Amino acid sequence: MSEQYEVEFIERGDREATFLVRGVTPAFANGVRRAMLADVPTLSIDEVRVVENSSVMFDEQIGLRLGLVPLTTPRDEFSEGETVTLALDVEGPGTAYSGDLVSSDDLVSPAEENVPIIDLKEGQRLEIEADAVMDTGKEHAKHQGGVAVGYRHLQRIEVVGDNEAFEQDDPRIVRGVIEAEGELVPAESFGNDLTNRYEGKEVEVHDVPNAFVFDVETDGSMSVDDLVLAAVDSIGDRADELAAAVQL
Amino acid sequence: MMVPVRCFTCGNVVGEHWEEFKARTREDDENPKAVLDELGVERACCRRMLVSHKDLVDIVAPYQ
Repeated sequence: MSEQYEVEFIERGDREATFLVRGVTPAFANGVRRAMLADVPTLSIDEVRVVENSSVMFDEQIGLRLGLVPLTTPRDEFSEGETVTLALDVEGPGTAYSGDLVSSDDLVSPAEENVPIIDLKEGQRLEIEADAVMDTGKEHAKHQGGVAVGYRHLQRIEVVGDNEAFEQDDPRIVRGVIEAEGELVPAESFGNDLTNRYEGKEVEVHDVPNAFVFDVETDGSMSVDDLVLAAVDSIGDRADELAAAVQL
Repeated sequence: MMVPVRCFTCGNVVGEHWEEFKARTREDDENPKAVLDELGVERACCRRMLVSHKDLVDIVAPYQ
C-alpha cells in the first residue's frame, strides 16, 4: 500500500476494539478481515491421550470441549505446527474446569479458567494428556483468534433541511459509527435512530468512500492489537511470496 | 449435557459464564436479561446458548 491510510480508534480494549481505517480499498479491508479469521495461527488442543475417563461423556466429546478452550498464544514465540503439552487430572465429586489444565510451557495457559469441561460424580475420574498445536483457522475453527470480526462503511450524515411541520418522523436506523459535523459518533449513543439526534430535520446518509469501521473481538488467545498486526503481516508475507514466485 | 464451550454461531467463549448465570437466574431469581448484560454476553446468538441450556449430566449419570 503506497497511498495514505490512517487508523483511528473509537474504542480500544484488550479483547474488543472498534477502529476506523481510512484510505483502503474494500478489497483490502475484506482481506484484513479474512486474514484475521483464517490466517492468524493460535494454539489449540488437537490431540488427546486419555489415561482414564470414567465420566459420563465419551473421550471424543471431551476432546472436542478441550479443543474449544482458547489458549494464550504469545506472538512470534511459536511457529505453525509446533506443539505444547498440557495435562489434566481431576477426580470426582467435582467439576473439571479449563483452569485445571496444567501446561508444560509458562507462556501457554487457558485464557478462560472457568469453562466447565465435565461434571464428575463420586468415583469418576478424568486424566488426560493433550497436545496443543499451532495452526490456522483454515484448518479448524478452534484455531480462529478472532470472534465475530467484521467491518462496515463509515457513514456521513448531512442535514439537508427541515421536516414539514407536524410530519411524523419515521425511525432512521443506522449501525456502527457515523461521521457528523466532522466528529465520529457511535450510533449506540443515540439509540441507533437518527431521528433522536436530528429531531425535525431532514437528513441524508452517505457511505464515506474507502473508510471502514472494523469491529474486532478475540477469544482471549491474543490481544486485539496482536491479532490485527499478525493479520496484516500475513497479507504482507503472502504478497512477498507471490512476488518471489512470479518471475517475468 | 454440559454447557457448550463456545457459541455455535460466532465462536465466542460462553461456557465460563454458565455457573454464575445459572446460580443467579435459577436460585436468586434475577432477570436473565440483566444478568447476561452484566456478564458481557452481548449478541443474541451467544445469549441463546445460555438461556436455552439445560444440564443433563445428573440425569444420565446413573446409566454409566
